[in-house]
Amino acid sequence: MPVVLTVDPRSGVPIYLQVIEQVKRSVALGILAGGEQLPTVKQLALDLTINPNTVAKAYRELERDGVIETSPGRGSFVKSNGAADSTKSAARDVARDAFDAAVREAKSIGLGAAEVRDLAAAAIDRWFTEEQ
Amino acid sequence: MSSTLTVSHLRKTYGPYVAVDDLSFEVPEGCVFGLLGPNGAGKSTTFKCMLGLARATAGSVLFGGKPLEPALFESIAYVPERSVLYDWMTVAEHVEMQRRAFTSFDPKAAYELLAQFGIDPRKKARALSKGMKTATMVALAIARRAQTLILDEPTSGLDPINQRHVLNLIINESARGATVIFSSHQIGQVERAAESIAVIDRGRLALEGAVDDLKAGRKIVEAIFPSETYALDGVSGDSRVARLDRTGRIVRALVTSDAGEFVTRLEALGGSGVRIVDLNLEDIFLYAVAPSDATADVVGGASK
Repeated sequence: MPVVLTVDPRSGVPIYLQVIEQVKRSVALGILAGGEQLPTVKQLALDLTINPNTVAKAYRELERDGVIETSPGRGSFVKSNGAADSTKSAARDVARDAFDAAVREAKSIGLGAAEVRDLAAAAIDRWFTEEQ
Repeated sequence: MSSTLTVSHLRKTYGPYVAVDDLSFEVPEGCVFGLLGPNGAGKSTTFKCMLGLARATAGSVLFGGKPLEPALFESIAYVPERSVLYDWMTVAEHVEMQRRAFTSFDPKAAYELLAQFGIDPRKKARALSKGMKTATMVALAIARRAQTLILDEPTSGLDPINQRHVLNLIINESARGATVIFSSHQIGQVERAAESIAVIDRGRLALEGAVDDLKAGRKIVEAIFPSETYALDGVSGDSRVARLDRTGRIVRALVTSDAGEFVTRLEALGGSGVRIVDLNLEDIFLYAVAPSDATADVVGGASK
């Protein structure tokens, strides 16, 4: 399956973080499977019209996070050793960032910890009904 | 040979007018570097001094550690802001001229690039639009396979499709290891293609850094305080705070790093509704060049 990544260079979020987030999300969703090859740095830079060193930086961090592995001369691949593990940790990373942003927002508009906990519990009840 | 480019304490004066003042920056090998600045900030003068087309009043420019000398001309390609094509010559004659002048020039690549821009090589330069003249010069420069490319407004006059094509050519040059320094008034282009930038304003360096680092560090932190006269002990003296604007009970601070920590600090001082606003490169640029008393409402924050 081809990798479909989109970045918004005009956003205030650094481009390399956008690439990292999107690759993790693709892995979490199974769009990128274990062992699957990622585009080369140059190819992704040209596809997205972004700086190649920015792509290389994103790949380095993804490698450090254990999501992908790079072998010189062959390219970068989604880690297949324990692909389930990296899928899970990628999913957790994506969800944690979304959760963090929501809690920060709630706090900044004046809600207390207890109220935020109630809201989180209510949201969990709403979306996980079948497990109740 | 390394193609790291080092500009140190560059100064250029024309009579009493100071065009470039104590300008220093470094472009590492293989980096795409964007030079930003308002009109008349000194970008083109900087390029001309780097290339020896204007004599620097003081300071130095080094290519891979060496000052510019004829032996280096082969490794540096330059696209000037204004057309230097000969009106009475055809595009093909310009290709031939480049072939004779530079041993590494690749005529086949030049014709391919011209075709990609939709330029008929049989046309005389005078018959080309402003944008097509720019595209011709970019094509001739890329076909040089130079180690260093200095591009002054390389997308000027081009339609969005050809602008994007020029950006991809720059990216391709960088991917093969060339060092590229370019200027553009279209900040969105610099935001895409450049890894690092320098902002110059009235001849002086106003800001320099990696685009992603600047975006990660520079944030607006907004907070609401209980009264208009609320004391912000020590906040304005904080070295991370580049600007501090108060409008009634609302405080907006431009911080250069650790926005999260700064939020905690404002909350400890009694601020509520604290929020962090991301800044895109245009916002960062505007803050860097605007006088400190006039930026209060220049920036609305990056659109998501």
